[in-house]
Amino acid sequence: MSPLIACPKCRAWLLDGVFNRLDMAPCPSCGAPLQIEAFPALFRKINPGQSAEPVMVEGESSCFYHPQKKAVVPCAGCGRFLCALCDCEFGNEHFCPACLEAGKSKGKIKALDTERTRYDTIALGLAVIPMLLFYFTIITAPMTLFVAIRYWKAPRSLVQHSSARFLLAIILALLQIAGWGAFFIYLATRHS
Amino acid sequence: MATSNYQRLTRARINQHFAVITATRVSLWLGSDHLLHVENNGFTEIYKRFYFRDIQAFTVLESRRRGIWNAILLVPVAICLVGVMACAFPVRNAAAMFVWALFAALFLVPFAINTIRGPTCNCQLRTAVQTEDLGSLSRVRQTHKVLEKIRPLIAAAQGQLTAEEVAARMQEAAAGINPGRQPEPPAEPPIAS
Repeated sequence: MSPLIACPKCRAWLLDGVFNRLDMAPCPSCGAPLQIEAFPALFRKINPGQSAEPVMVEGESSCFYHPQKKAVVPCAGCGRFLCALCDCEFGNEHFCPACLEAGKSKGKIKALDTERTRYDTIALGLAVIPMLLFYFTIITAPMTLFVAIRYWKAPRSLVQHSSARFLLAIILALLQIAGWGAFFIYLATRHS
Repeated sequence: MATSNYQRLTRARINQHFAVITATRVSLWLGSDHLLHVENNGFTEIYKRFYFRDIQAFTVLESRRRGIWNAILLVPVAICLVGVMACAFPVRNAAAMFVWALFAALFLVPFAINTIRGPTCNCQLRTAVQTEDLGSLSRVRQTHKVLEKIRPLIAAAQGQLTAEEVAARMQEAAAGINPGRQPEPPAEPPIAS
C-alpha cells in the first residue's frame, strides 16, 4: 500500500502543509480544512512472511504439521512444535493456526473477540418493552428470568462489565410475576 | 464490581441519523496497547482493535454538518418567532405568546448545543490494510482532545515524525511511484462532508 494520503474531499494527493500540525490547515488543492496526523508506520516496509527451513540434522525437532520442516517454537495453546510457517505470533505468544482458530471461536483469547452478545440488554429489553402492552408480560417475565439466569455468567461486554442491567431485569420480571400472581389470586378469591 | 480494562474516549454516537431501525451506536475506547472501536446495535457489540504499532495516520476533515443542522433548526425557530410576533400585535395574547416561545425554545436548545460543541468533522484512521471511519469522532474539538491523549502512546509504540520529515518522505514516495508528475488519485469515493 502506498504511503501517499489523498485529501478525503478532492482526492488530490497531499504532499505538504497539512501533516502533523496541531490545528486544521487548508488542503492545498481544494482548500477544505484538514488535519493529518502521520506516524512512522505509514512508511514502514512490510516484511514478507518467513518460509520454513527443512530439517537438516536427524533427530532435530520437526513441525507437527510439516514433519519435514524444522520446528522453531512450541504452540502456547497445545504445546505442539511449529515451523516458521505455522507460527502465528499474537501479542507476545505463539500459537498454531488450530489453537488460534479455537481460541477465536470459543472466546478463549480475549484479544481475538470481535463480537459479543449483550444478554443483559436483551434481558432488560424483554422486561421493559412489553410493559407498554402490559399483558405480554405474563409471557416475557419468565423469559426475562430465564435469559438473566441462563446467561448470567456469559461473557459480558468488553467495555461495560456491570451486572446492573441483569439485576434490573430480574427485579422487573419478579415484580411483573408478583403482579400477575396477585391478579390471579384476586380473580380466584372474587369468584369464590 | 468488575472494572473494564478500557478507558472511554468518546461517548456512543448514532452512526446513521435517519435509519432508526438499523442505527448502530459507535464509541471509541482506549486499551493498554490499542484503540477499541465498538459498534453496538443494541443486542450485540462488534469490536475492532487498532494497535498503536499499526496505526499509520489519522485524517480529520472539517465538515458542514453543524451548519446544515443549525439551518434546519433555525427554520422552526423563525416560524415560532413569527408566531410570537403575531400573538403580540395588534392584541397581546400572553398565553399564546408563551406557547410559541416554548416551541421556539424546544428548537433553540439543540441549536445552542450544536453551536457550542464546535465545528463538526469526519475522522478516518488508516492502517496498512484498512481505512476506518471513526464515526464517534464527530467534533473537531473532541477529536483534538482524543489525538492529544493517544499521540504519546502511538509515539511510544513506533516513534514520532515531524511535519518536515513527513513532507519529505511523501515527496520521495510520490517521486518513486510516478517520477516527474503527480500520481493518479485512488479510486475510493470521497467521504461526505
